[in-house]
Amino acid sequence: MREVGIVGVGHSKFGKMSGGTFTDMLSMAAVQALDDAGVKTGMGHGVDQVFVSTMGAGILNKQSGIASALVDYLNLRPAMAETIENGPASGASAIKLGYMAIASGMCDCVLVVGGEMMRVVSGWEGTDFVATMLHPEAEYNYGLTLPAFAGLFTKLCMEKYGVTETDLSIVAVKNHENATHNPVAHIHVVPNLYCITEDEDAPIMNPYVAEPLRMYHCCPVSDGSAAVLLCAMDKADKFKKKPIKIAGIGQATDTHAVAEREVPTDLLAVRLAAQMAYKMSGLTPQDIDVAELHDAFQILEIVESEEVGFFKRGEGHIAARNGETKIGGKIPINTSGGLKAKGHPLGATGISQVVEIVKQLRGEATGRQVEGAKAGLAVNFGGFGNNVVATILTKEEA
Amino acid sequence: MEQEMYAYKCTTCGELHHPKHYVCKKCGNREFEKVPLAGEVTLVTYTKVYNLPEGYMKPYIGFGIAKFENGLVVSGQLEVENPEIGMKLMATVGVVKEGIGKDYYGFIFK
Repeated sequence: MREVGIVGVGHSKFGKMSGGTFTDMLSMAAVQALDDAGVKTGMGHGVDQVFVSTMGAGILNKQSGIASALVDYLNLRPAMAETIENGPASGASAIKLGYMAIASGMCDCVLVVGGEMMRVVSGWEGTDFVATMLHPEAEYNYGLTLPAFAGLFTKLCMEKYGVTETDLSIVAVKNHENATHNPVAHIHVVPNLYCITEDEDAPIMNPYVAEPLRMYHCCPVSDGSAAVLLCAMDKADKFKKKPIKIAGIGQATDTHAVAEREVPTDLLAVRLAAQMAYKMSGLTPQDIDVAELHDAFQILEIVESEEVGFFKRGEGHIAARNGETKIGGKIPINTSGGLKAKGHPLGATGISQVVEIVKQLRGEATGRQVEGAKAGLAVNFGGFGNNVVATILTKEEA
Repeated sequence: MEQEMYAYKCTTCGELHHPKHYVCKKCGNREFEKVPLAGEVTLVTYTKVYNLPEGYMKPYIGFGIAKFENGLVVSGQLEVENPEIGMKLMATVGVVKEGIGKDYYGFIFK
């Protein structure tokens, strides 16, 4: 199997896309990734395959066949092209497929672009759209949503491990602080921990969304796109940037209906996907210098940090309290701002996480750089944990 | 019309499922018999949700995950004022969503 690296990254500003079409938004990130790698655009580009990840373009933007549209818009014809949908894990899935296309020998160079334009509908409609990935009869028809499951899950973690609302807020504030150093993040304002936890107005400033989860424990709704250019490591010298190697990829699924899980406080698919990625890369959790963990809800960052082996089960919130997941701590998590503050345009998220790890390993994460980072882990979480992709990237020694 | 919810019992090994699966999770068999599912449950966890999706004209809805005495664990709506993990409740069947021309039935824990 051939080794695969990342030679180009691109990222639009997350937030509210004003003006331009869905294809324009994807193109912004795609062209940035091509430019970053020093790839010629237009005729003679050398891109064999394009994968586009999006969960809702067909539903929210009434546009299907996005990959075909993008290839033509960028004049990358006759490159092969497919659109990939795997819920909020679509982005990492598309990277995995790009990896497979190159590792198999079928392609040398693959462009992976992800995006979502969610702020074209009301909050109620958006919540309903995201909930369509739940079990249709056993969950969706009840009015259950992703925040509802996060609330049910958080309540259990509080009961079993002693996680508090303040712990969730500590994680949120950390991620908001990191985002102020990330120019492409959706939110550049840092909430004051006291004001959202202890102040007498805290319940108004930070109301419940799904008890015990409050507003500052949930990600915003964002538009945005991200892209990576993958190449065969044995062809990497053709590109401007040194490759960051995809050292390991793992993916695992779990029950569709959340209630069917044997241990309801476990995120089994996260654990299995991470174990697979560690095994493939030959690395252990102790070798990871920086991580992007899918914090659509702050409880997920805490439990994922345990499931991927950074902390013992039930101790992730204590590590967060002690500042171990801050930049400069034992294992910095979500240096980009995470989904909490950078934003969560579903189809872009998994790629955006990998873009951040690439920047960290290249030493390009200005203002939020983890000094000397050589290995990074990204966890992209689909459904309420029923389909998870873990990716490990490493910096090759010169 | 009387509405019922069901467990799906594997005709080979007897494993119970809810919701329905096409293949038995234990033995791989593909045939099931429907067994009515209602009665006493233990509350596993709960939440109260304020940002409801399109189509719900309420300020909030309570939700729970509850375990039947036969071991099945299911999601449902929760109509209890001060819920506590571990409390005993009754799983009833009622309208959980009013659709256009069609009502959707499901578990309501009371």
